[in-house]
Amino acid sequence: MTDLHVTICGVELKNPVIPASGTFGFGREFDEIYDISCLGAVATKGLTLEPRLGNPVPRIAESNAVILNAVGLQNPGVEHFIEHDLAWLRVKTRVVANVAGRTVEEYGAMCARLDGLVDFIELNISCPNVRAGGMALGVKPENVKEVTHVAKCALKKTPLIVKLSPNAESIAANARAAEEGGADCVSLVNTFTGMAVDIERRRPVLANNTGGVSGAGIRPIALRMVYEAKRAVSIPVIGMGGITCAEDAVAFMMAGASAVQVGTQNFTDALACPKIIEGLDRWCSSHGVERVSDLVGTLQMN
Amino acid sequence: MRELNATVLENIEIAPMVYSLTFGLDEEIAIRPGQFCMIGVHGYSLKRPIAVCKTEGERVTVCFRVKGGGTRALAGNYRLKEKIPVLLPLGNGFSVPEEARRIAVVGGGVGIFPLISAIRAYTGTHEVYAYMGFRSKADICLEYEMRRAELILATDDGSAGFHGNAVQAFMKDVDGLQPDIVLSCGPLPMLRALKNSMRGRDIPVFVSLEERMGCGIGACLVCVCDREDGSRARVCRDGPVFDINEINF
Repeated sequence: MTDLHVTICGVELKNPVIPASGTFGFGREFDEIYDISCLGAVATKGLTLEPRLGNPVPRIAESNAVILNAVGLQNPGVEHFIEHDLAWLRVKTRVVANVAGRTVEEYGAMCARLDGLVDFIELNISCPNVRAGGMALGVKPENVKEVTHVAKCALKKTPLIVKLSPNAESIAANARAAEEGGADCVSLVNTFTGMAVDIERRRPVLANNTGGVSGAGIRPIALRMVYEAKRAVSIPVIGMGGITCAEDAVAFMMAGASAVQVGTQNFTDALACPKIIEGLDRWCSSHGVERVSDLVGTLQMN
Repeated sequence: MRELNATVLENIEIAPMVYSLTFGLDEEIAIRPGQFCMIGVHGYSLKRPIAVCKTEGERVTVCFRVKGGGTRALAGNYRLKEKIPVLLPLGNGFSVPEEARRIAVVGGGVGIFPLISAIRAYTGTHEVYAYMGFRSKADICLEYEMRRAELILATDDGSAGFHGNAVQAFMKDVDGLQPDIVLSCGPLPMLRALKNSMRGRDIPVFVSLEERMGCGIGACLVCVCDREDGSRARVCRDGPVFDINEINF
């Protein structure tokens, strides 16, 4: 048996596998398929101050080895989450509350509301923001630093993860900006902006025209970005982007990720996360790795 | 809800570009009429949501039309004994109140397949009248299953049965038939027409909806539909069967 525990920002997880935000709701549905208390943590559906209805349908499309989504942050609002889901989820496992806002101030308010109630807060800075003139806050380092700083100032207890967008000028610069703004951890990558076209209708498949690209096809780019981010900062990194199996998770950990998130694969295989946890144990055992955390950052460059 | 590795038992074309796929499970799983499953296709990240048409013990049959790459691969690449990932049973399914005696099912195109599960479930205990619409005579399939009910066929081109669609055929009979409940599935324009036509009549109508899905279990909020009250429902989880008056088409 491998020791699968990892510690991030002083918080111990029973293993490094976390279903990614937006693919797992608040965990209740997947808990009907398997006991989600086996997971290292759960990253919640992106939360906002007020309930949101999200985008029109179709909200999903598929291309080679990737999917595109444009759900548009549909969620019942942070108060509903706190009242209906949080206590249940915390009994199961660690909670990463993913939060989004229209303004920098909304991020601050979300953090203040959730401080001390969850194990981590993860800032989604990939959504269009008023402060950035409708552009995502995650594009320019100065915006990343500002929103991180505002969020961090609202937090006294809960560690702050900044989820970096790959649609950025420089992933290393943005990781550094998050660290300078006071982030305790960065997670990456969020989805790449993309488009799928229905050539018969001469229209984009998604009602929103563009959407976030995720899935196995983005994995090489995500791995490179995780490596670059880890080299740029001294805070821990959580890696994600197209992880489908334990071997993929191992690669991300070698590239510098202290834990991993699994998104699209939850759709391909509802049992993806428990299979990856079991696979990590097997891989480590067969490779003489006693603690999964020993893998982190061990990649040797050519 | 279970994520399972099923075994393909049969995969045959039953009408032009329409396939009937039967797979076997290791054990019998209770599936209600109108429920669906997500079927994994090798090389595709997303499973395909497909209504269950028939269950017999551990054998489950789904029928689908070849529309895109995923369904083409599902039709072409899965032969006897091959393994196929399935997530099931999903969604609420149809429910018929105990006091209902006469059921009308109104289906069009691939919408007839979930209704066949209803016909199979209710013909032993209820009077079932089936109004089933196809484009043309050549598209008619599973007639022996539909004949378990009192069957009224309709074709768009008039090549068989009533000349017109299933809703038109049904609306011609509805006042004489006086069904206690109507179950329907088909293309959106058909469901819209049914809603408009049934307005003012005191007969409950339940429709099964179709939408592009992500997880199929209610977690990802991809497959929503608009409710009349302005909220949004998850087709996979809150449906796929809804009271027609609840939905804003």
